[in-house]
Amino acid sequence: MSDFDAIDSLLASLTPQPALPEAQVRRGLRERAALSKAQVARTLGVSPATVTGWETGRDPSGELRTKYAYLLDGLAAKLAPSSPPPTDEATAPQPAQDESTTFPAPGPTAGDDMDDVEALAAPEPCVLCGQPARHHVAGFPQHLDPAQCATTAPAPDTPAQRSEGRTAKPVKAVPAGRRVRAASDAEPSGPIAVAVAEALEAHEGDVEAATAALVKKAIPDAMALLDATRIGGRYDVIAHPWMPDILKKQSAHGADQIWEARPKWTRAELPPGEHQVTALDINGAYLSALKTHLPIGQLEHSAGGVGHDRRRAGVHLITPSHWDREDVLPNPLGQRDEPGPLWVTEPTLRLLLRLSGPKHGLCEPPEIHESYTSGATEGLLEKFRIVLKDARDTAIAAGDEVTLEYVKAMYSKFVSTMGTSNYNRQLYRPDWMHLIRSQAFANLWMKALKAHEAGLTVVRAMGTDELHVIGDWRRVFGEGRGVTEVKVKDVYTAGSAHVAGGEG
Amino acid sequence: MPERNHDFGKFGARGIRGSDLVARQLDALAGFIATSVTTRRGLLARLNYLTTSPTAWKAARAAGLRVTDRTLKAWLAGTQKPSKANLERIEGAYRTVRRHNVARHLLKRLNSGGGTRVEIHPLNQSQVPRPYQRTLEYRRINVRRWEGMVTAWAAGDSRALDDAWTTGVLPDLGSQWGQYEYVTNIGFAA
Repeated sequence: MSDFDAIDSLLASLTPQPALPEAQVRRGLRERAALSKAQVARTLGVSPATVTGWETGRDPSGELRTKYAYLLDGLAAKLAPSSPPPTDEATAPQPAQDESTTFPAPGPTAGDDMDDVEALAAPEPCVLCGQPARHHVAGFPQHLDPAQCATTAPAPDTPAQRSEGRTAKPVKAVPAGRRVRAASDAEPSGPIAVAVAEALEAHEGDVEAATAALVKKAIPDAMALLDATRIGGRYDVIAHPWMPDILKKQSAHGADQIWEARPKWTRAELPPGEHQVTALDINGAYLSALKTHLPIGQLEHSAGGVGHDRRRAGVHLITPSHWDREDVLPNPLGQRDEPGPLWVTEPTLRLLLRLSGPKHGLCEPPEIHESYTSGATEGLLEKFRIVLKDARDTAIAAGDEVTLEYVKAMYSKFVSTMGTSNYNRQLYRPDWMHLIRSQAFANLWMKALKAHEAGLTVVRAMGTDELHVIGDWRRVFGEGRGVTEVKVKDVYTAGSAHVAGGEG
Repeated sequence: MPERNHDFGKFGARGIRGSDLVARQLDALAGFIATSVTTRRGLLARLNYLTTSPTAWKAARAAGLRVTDRTLKAWLAGTQKPSKANLERIEGAYRTVRRHNVARHLLKRLNSGGGTRVEIHPLNQSQVPRPYQRTLEYRRINVRRWEGMVTAWAAGDSRALDDAWTTGVLPDLGSQWGQYEYVTNIGFAA
């Protein structure tokens, strides 16, 4: 008989395998709930790679499968209001049952795998929300429907309201960083969305007034965001270091001695014939330029041919080599009138060193005489930049001009006032200001080089974000509003037939 | 090196007394007239500031600018130029009055929001022989109460300011505070 007992217990342990949704649905559920793979993996006690496997077609088995199915069911129920539910009958007869309290709830919400549900004679407080619940689940009084659990007052829940919220229509998606999530999940989260929502509320939906108010407080908000993004960071933002004289303004309205290498170049001779020139605009140039090697601490002086240290960044006194490609490409040093040594920033020096390297071989390496540098990292403003970029992408996808203007004011004013500005005394880093600007110019220069190497004719490189080219630029640059894309500012014809005339 | 320095710079260390840098930073935050007093524009700006009200003029007189109304009128009209000694007195009186006027507002800003974060950048020991060099780190500290320092600064009392800074604030850095009596820079915003 003992053999049969063993067989019986073995058979009893063979519970029916809970059904799992399709692989894409699993991923969709997790992403709509804004859960990362790591979070899910940690909860289930597996590695994130395993979760990836489950979301691409593999199936878990045994106890893990039960747990995973439970998680997915829970997610599906939580996200139900924003996605088509199985039926409306599941919820509509609920109030009627609550009055009768004689039989356990039928209907799909009870679930195939929830056999341990019992109806209660008298309502008891739900273990999750504290409101009276009429069912026992695995021995604990709980609401069967998580939606009911979430609401504070489940009793006056009219069927009309609920079915309204549960109409079967596609969910609007918005990009969140690299991923996509439902627009309903993109409710105010993070300081930017909260600030925008508050401003809109304060001005009762007056978009212009709200934008003006937001732009006005963009600098303190950017500084608060910077502080928030540095929590847990490896390095402190050092806001008031000693500055060498070259970084000090000579007079109240004068400039310091740093050359930012701003491009201002127009091709001297166009190829013969008439051409269509496209003026391209680089999106969010300063936002992208926040990713640059920034000196962390106080700048230290070094002189006498010590060369360039890749782990440090700062400003350098260099004698640039001669640039002999002025006819096809702008000088990476910008439009400079006087010869001789000059103080340049780290991005300019790195650009020159890169161009003089074996890959490009476009010029001789510059001669470095003196440097003021400090240990550098590219990650100092990286979180800050990503928060702003994500907010910008979301705003563009949602057509949200208020957030767009606000984000633009935040990063542009942050860069322009991080030096010695009276509008932002929290940060006194003229060195960072110069480095970030130079990085924007260097980025534009590299785009000009990319166009040139792809066979386009570069006609003009101006300021931070303007590039004029002749040729099919769409195979070189993507068109759009993202930071990696370009947009068309102007299209005009130039050449021997007509002299540059704008046409829109 | 637990506490105060006796003979700073003996081995080539370079730095400025912390309290002097605090006064310098407070001056920068107060924002004096940028144009020099030796130019007509700068002189007029200062005299106008000192003569906006009878109280201001009284404060200027208390700060050492003892000239008759007739002389003042001549200076303002441009018929007469202040002597070199008087230019110094005008500048000194202007700074004293301006500091006094700004102090209350500045104090409020420095004390608000749980105090102000102060960055302390250690002294420069690049000229110190290697065996005498010590590891010095950048420190930052939150100063909650600024009354002592701002009052001393507004009164132009450098000794009281030094006392407020060196004995009131620096010891909060811990047992190594003596290393930060002389520093390269002190930064804070208001």
